[in-house]
Amino acid sequence: MASDSAIISLDDVSFSYGSAEAPRALDRITLSIEEGEFLGVIGPSGAGKSTLAAVLSGAIPHHFGGAFFGTALVCGQDTCTVSLTDISRVVGSVLQDIDTQMVASNVEDELLFGLENFGVPHEAIEKRLQLTMETVGIADLRHREIATLSGGQKQKVAIAAILALQPRVLVLDEPTAALDPASSKMVFDTLSAINRDLGITVVVIEQKVALLSEYCRRIAVMDHGRIALMGTPHEVFSHGEELKRIGVDSPRVARISNSLARDGIIAPGEPCLNVEQAAELIERIYDDAEQRRDASADWQNPEDNDPNTRGRSASPHRPSRTKAEGVEPVVLLDGVNFSYPAGGASVRDLAMRVYPGELVGVVGQNGAGKTTLTKLITGLLKPSAGSVRVAGLDTREVRTSQIARHAATLFQNPDRQICKNTVLEEVAFGLELAGVPRDEAHRRARAAAERFDLPLDEAPFSLSRGQRQMVALASVVVLEPDVIILDEPTSGLDYRECMTVMETVREMADADSAVIMVCHDMEVVSDFAERLVVMADGEILDRGETHALFAREELMKRASMEPPQVIELSHELARRVSPAFEGLHEVSDVVALTKELICRG
Amino acid sequence: MVNVIDYVPGTTLLHRLNPVTKLAIAAAIIAATFLADTYALLGGLLALTFALAAYTRTVPRLMSLLKLLVPLAAIMLVLQTLLVRSGTPVLGFITDEGLVSASKMALRLLGIALPLVLMLSVTKLNDLSNACVEVLRIPYKYAFTFTTALRFVPVFSQEMNAIMEAQTARGVEYDTPHPLKKLKLMLPLCVPLLISSVGKTDATALAAEQRGFYLRTRSSAFKRYPLAAADFAVLALCVALIALGVAF
Repeated sequence: MASDSAIISLDDVSFSYGSAEAPRALDRITLSIEEGEFLGVIGPSGAGKSTLAAVLSGAIPHHFGGAFFGTALVCGQDTCTVSLTDISRVVGSVLQDIDTQMVASNVEDELLFGLENFGVPHEAIEKRLQLTMETVGIADLRHREIATLSGGQKQKVAIAAILALQPRVLVLDEPTAALDPASSKMVFDTLSAINRDLGITVVVIEQKVALLSEYCRRIAVMDHGRIALMGTPHEVFSHGEELKRIGVDSPRVARISNSLARDGIIAPGEPCLNVEQAAELIERIYDDAEQRRDASADWQNPEDNDPNTRGRSASPHRPSRTKAEGVEPVVLLDGVNFSYPAGGASVRDLAMRVYPGELVGVVGQNGAGKTTLTKLITGLLKPSAGSVRVAGLDTREVRTSQIARHAATLFQNPDRQICKNTVLEEVAFGLELAGVPRDEAHRRARAAAERFDLPLDEAPFSLSRGQRQMVALASVVVLEPDVIILDEPTSGLDYRECMTVMETVREMADADSAVIMVCHDMEVVSDFAERLVVMADGEILDRGETHALFAREELMKRASMEPPQVIELSHELARRVSPAFEGLHEVSDVVALTKELICRG
Repeated sequence: MVNVIDYVPGTTLLHRLNPVTKLAIAAAIIAATFLADTYALLGGLLALTFALAAYTRTVPRLMSLLKLLVPLAAIMLVLQTLLVRSGTPVLGFITDEGLVSASKMALRLLGIALPLVLMLSVTKLNDLSNACVEVLRIPYKYAFTFTTALRFVPVFSQEMNAIMEAQTARGVEYDTPHPLKKLKLMLPLCVPLLISSVGKTDATALAAEQRGFYLRTRSSAFKRYPLAAADFAVLALCVALIALGVAF
């Protein structure tokens, strides 16, 4: 129950958008947030995370209408009885779509807006500005135009604009959704500094489990409007099975330690949260096992074993496939250059070949040119030099709408591609554009929509975000294209939806579509992509087999990327425990090899 | 992405003038353009606009705007020459009076659109709204609405572009050479655009309120916008410009 030191406490809070009979977005939530806390909130889409953030920041009940039950106290005051402006003095909130939050065209003005409004004395403003910008690390951006900033910088400005008001609580709704791993980490470093140095309470909604587990002191897992699990990252991620049922991912290293605990090798309840912990754990298990061993026993050096024949199970996601001999590449780029007329980003000398049935991941930082590459392939952009051929068509010679018959794109934001009144029409639209007769198109669309359990006659915009992405996915699947391009297919989706998308894509690759996937989630890339194209500053740094590239430290550094946890862990273990770990990339492989090493002897 | 009304940084006198004075310059040029009735003055006013643009290094902006305006002016020119029946015929339907009034109309169209864009590109939107509140005593609510609307223009046009790209990638023929067919294809896009716009506007309102929007008064702004001697001089020139328009 709410203690005295709680800065925000919710007591039995329920909320439904619309009438009291409508389904509840929040269902009897009791939660108290202590001053100085760093709380992470995670859950599948539709679990009520954003609604919870809105209640904490006072936007509910003041801005969003609906039926509100229970009491929400901020600083001991009932949010229903004080104005939103007064709540905002205590709770600063950073919105999900920061473009809508920005009021000014340059950084300084953006920070000034709130300070001016809240009547901070003018002589104190300059000092406050400098202090805030130093804390967030944007002092050098002070006079920059916001339109010229990168995504990560913009997010920092949005945080600074709120932080300048010196709130006691900062509520952020998915601040890293649009950011690459390096910028995401930077944002969390900033939040961590704010929390540690200024004592500001931070509540952050986030889908990236690795970040949550590393930075937050407490994690709340939401499911169907309730808080399903709550505790320290260790406590929460020791419930691996339950998280999976809810639809929340666990850090890969936590899965490894949870598996070991399930097999009775370690005591349950203390999952690893980062690579270092996992490496230490396995090293310790190994050393213990070695000590227990009889010194005179015949000791077999694991190096003698062929690592290819041992410890490796077949990948659950990436069954290896043999490529047909003599097949023509379906996507062919040669010496492609492109630069935007207004200046800014450009790409140089891009060359790549993608064959039918291949799943290729394109990775790199924001601004590395990944999206430009995909637009060159779909013909939305035409190369200024070199050539792009898709299914035998030179993109410079045919219209984009013709290329669309061979290459389908699943965009990051499904709302940009939805334009019909019902799900059925929407899914059939692409087929009709390609000249398939209406009856035939509807028949195929029906089958595709039913496969994803979509309501055929509903308006797509009345569905949830996750379901809208499924509508978009169904309209790609139904086309059975030669080439599929995925632009950040997993952003904004929860773990379960993400897996549905990826499994579907995998099946389409098995049916001989070529898949090109731009993705920031290295775990997804590692699980699904067979080949990798690493980009930085508009150039392709290297390409090759996914895990071989991930294992190359200098390449990852040059592209400012971090390899997936499991690959980093196996690299570390290969150094510390046994070379047999080198090159493992699946949770199950690491667990199997660890068990094997300790059981022998 | 660079937009027509984005601020072009600089330190010229025009940059340093009070935002209200800059508005007055644009208003004076526009008023004079309306009132002017000779080619000399209409041409002169356009030349003045371009001279100011050259001074503030914003000519590329005006040129990109001209690309949109010239076809529009041409259409008006043609319509007007076809509609005006008085005067002596020069060639078929076309009369001399028709040609004269049509060409002046086309010049006026250019003369009205350009000065405002010129002034907006040398003024930060925040300065503009703050100065309007302080000097003209316009309620902040209206000033904020106006500048936010301007700020949303590029946001929405980007959104529209993104939607069109997504649709083109699906095979909708936005790349068709027929303008009418393209227009017909664009209409259904209003729905997604409207939905995202309403959402964005609502979020903006919420964010502004959470940053104390309703507490703001005329004296809130950190920067002050007093009218200096240069401003009064320029304002006097503006009056003279309008008088010139009345006279010629």
